[in-house]
Amino acid sequence: MAEREIKLPDIGDFDGVEVIELLVKAGDRVAAEQSLLVLESDKATMEIPSPVAGVVRKLLVGVGDVVREGTPIALLEVEGVGEGIEPATPAVEAPASASPDASPQDAPSSADLAPYTVDAPHPAAHAGPSVRRLARELGVDLALVPGRGPKGRILEEDVQGYVKALIAQGGGGASVPIAGVHVAAPVDVDFAKFGPVQSEALNRVRRVASANLHRSWVTVPHVTQFDDADVTELESFRQDHRAEAEARGTKLTFLPFLVKAVVKALQEFPHFNASLDRSGENLIVKRYFHIGVAVDTEHGLVVPVVRDADRKSLFELAAELQQLSEKARARRLRPEQLQGGSFSISSLGGIGGTRFTPIVNHPEVAILGVSRMEWKPVWRDGAFVPRRILPLSLSYDHRVIDGADGARFTGRLAALLADLRRILL
Amino acid sequence: MADLRADVVVLGAGPGGYSAAFRAADLGRSVVLVERYPALGGVCLNVGCIPSKALLHVAEVMAAARDLAEAGVDFGAPKLDLAKLRARKDAVVAQLGGGLAKMAEQRGVRVVTGTGSFAGPQRLDVATAEGSVAIEFARAIVAAGSRAVQLPDFPDDPRVLDSTSALALDVVPQRLLVVGGGVIGLELATVYEALGADVTIVEALDRLMPGPDPDLVRPLQRRLEPRLAAIHLRTKVTAVEARADGLLVAFEGEKAPAGDLFDRVLVAVGRRPNGDRIGAEAAGIRVGERGFVAVDERLATNLPHVFAIGDVARAPLLAHKASHEGKAAAEAACDLRVAFDARAIPSVAYTDPEVAWVGVTESDARAQKIEVDVARFPWAASGRALGMGRSEGMTKLLFAKDTKRLVGAGIVGPHAGDLIGECALAIELGADAEDIALTVHPHPTLGETIGLAAEVAAGTVTDLYLPRRSR
Repeated sequence: MAEREIKLPDIGDFDGVEVIELLVKAGDRVAAEQSLLVLESDKATMEIPSPVAGVVRKLLVGVGDVVREGTPIALLEVEGVGEGIEPATPAVEAPASASPDASPQDAPSSADLAPYTVDAPHPAAHAGPSVRRLARELGVDLALVPGRGPKGRILEEDVQGYVKALIAQGGGGASVPIAGVHVAAPVDVDFAKFGPVQSEALNRVRRVASANLHRSWVTVPHVTQFDDADVTELESFRQDHRAEAEARGTKLTFLPFLVKAVVKALQEFPHFNASLDRSGENLIVKRYFHIGVAVDTEHGLVVPVVRDADRKSLFELAAELQQLSEKARARRLRPEQLQGGSFSISSLGGIGGTRFTPIVNHPEVAILGVSRMEWKPVWRDGAFVPRRILPLSLSYDHRVIDGADGARFTGRLAALLADLRRILL
Repeated sequence: MADLRADVVVLGAGPGGYSAAFRAADLGRSVVLVERYPALGGVCLNVGCIPSKALLHVAEVMAAARDLAEAGVDFGAPKLDLAKLRARKDAVVAQLGGGLAKMAEQRGVRVVTGTGSFAGPQRLDVATAEGSVAIEFARAIVAAGSRAVQLPDFPDDPRVLDSTSALALDVVPQRLLVVGGGVIGLELATVYEALGADVTIVEALDRLMPGPDPDLVRPLQRRLEPRLAAIHLRTKVTAVEARADGLLVAFEGEKAPAGDLFDRVLVAVGRRPNGDRIGAEAAGIRVGERGFVAVDERLATNLPHVFAIGDVARAPLLAHKASHEGKAAAEAACDLRVAFDARAIPSVAYTDPEVAWVGVTESDARAQKIEVDVARFPWAASGRALGMGRSEGMTKLLFAKDTKRLVGAGIVGPHAGDLIGECALAIELGADAEDIALTVHPHPTLGETIGLAAEVAAGTVTDLYLPRRSR
């Protein structure tokens, strides 16, 4: 048995994340990959798994502590020989050997000299010492910088370009003033003068969402296109197959059908599955179909992403959507499950309302809002017939998409939803 | 009341310390450099790398002259004037030391000679010849180095040497026992062997020179064996008795020799960091059990305004690592956003042949589960090495299987230490086998073997025939 200090692994692009829940306590036996604690970042909560199996001797952090990569989080009694040895641990206390000024007889194995070897298993950024130095000065994480030198090598210009782009986007936590926009200063009113009030701090999810929505609202010229889809046949098809889905352990909601139809429409209208680059001069059309689905949680709105929705069956989509929304509500989404979306869907169908105008999830260029489906009388062949009608609201970035295309897209989507067999055509 | 105030105080004027002091001064800080010896430069310059290399050069030329007998040129037995040799070595040291003192003066770095010890988180007291000097500082850089490990139970006798007294070169003993088959022991064995001593090496491990892969050490061992009296591996010294006619040494081990009499015994079993000798407690600086001062990547100790570099901070204990750390620490102490993030630090044994390595070794790769492609170029296929009569050399490159980039290199042969720098550069720049193979190396040189080893890895070599590797 060896004791091993568990350090917080690389948790992505976060520095300083709060511990919101401890999942184990001293004395607990944990399996490898079992979650030890839960962190909350700007966008998501994430569980931190134990790298090895063992018994928790001591937790080194508590709820409310702010941690970052490398922070010791727990002491584990590790089971099995050798498992306690961390690979390539910077052995600060390593005895000296293998050097003109260093030891022979009580010499350690050469593995003790690990601090300055190249860690090839996690290939470090392909950048020379001067570029690494520049990145450090500017606080740039080289893992995020695309290298444009030979063989993807990161050059000084790449670091500079990355920083310029960040500034241009107002990203990296910084904010930039937008030229030409002048608004009155925010009003500062003492509401208590008018009656009893209570101040509630916005939680992190809402604060971040608020900043993103505001940016999108101010920088993206929005247009919202409305349309109706006749989903009578689709809805009865869905009802007919609910039992089959339940037998497979999933609930067949309407959403997977919507995702299917949206993906087909996106394939036909690729500019809806795109982003403007930072210069605003190039459209980056995505060849992947990662669909973000807004989920309403008690902590605020989150948008988990279904990856490669074009390659998944209805049942697979149903199961994944169910899982993502459960995780979202339990605040258990990992950061990568919130990234990479190319188009978003916001459904208020379960709540009500007739229409709404969703805000584009920048840098995507379009978002589909759906409201509650209703039986409506539809004039058909000289008579009113009852049909199930689904209201569609498509908001898009008018810089990229013209009004005519907006109407074509929703029209096509409505046609696909009216008869999903069209997807096969 | 402080006698002196400094933006930055540097404790120790070895290669790390003076680099740190000079860099901080160049960045506009007032700097006080504290050094216990009158000469700057530390162990490296005064009693380490520099004097040993001055002597090793002599040893190398003597060996080369001796080898020439086979080529038809016989110089006869060398005549040794030890006093003159000592004076030459001392002159080299003095010239470098004088240069350092001059540069300190030019930069306005105030040098205080005496033993420094922390008296508080912002105060260092120096015991000088004129009494105690208190220095108040905003930032401190600990560069207190390391000292040779003494073996307990060895008699306190002037005939028991450490590397410092061995380099003083008082006498060439007839029979010298070197305890410790590591780099320092082997370098000094090389010097004394060339000067005519009968040298025996005793090493507790089953091999000479831990650190580099065994295949790099083998050619060295093969060359040493006929020249030395004996090499005893897996053998320990159990007792040393000081007698009038010499030091009687008893050995222990499977193939241990019988007790024997030596004129001198050199103890070279390692070095210990001086973290226990800086008054760390008074400042609240955390020092580990082995005497290393723990530091982060900025070289900061647990106190954010106190930094530690070089031997006192962490392995490897090498001057070139110390001087690079010194600069990084000085910049960090001047609030620049820097870190010491070298990907590889070369090590060199200035033996004959030299052994040099950088980055991961094959055993590191196994231990760290890094998958590597290993390419070797034997110097027996190098025209230059053959012309020098030194075909025992070998150049070995390790490329990561996933990135294809160079992650480690090892060279054995004359001037290996001068060649390894190219490999360090290649690692830092992320060069792969093709990058190195397609770089035109001059012919015929020893450095060419690096390009040829890369060609072996790339499958394009024509100076060897390796049927299955060709692509």
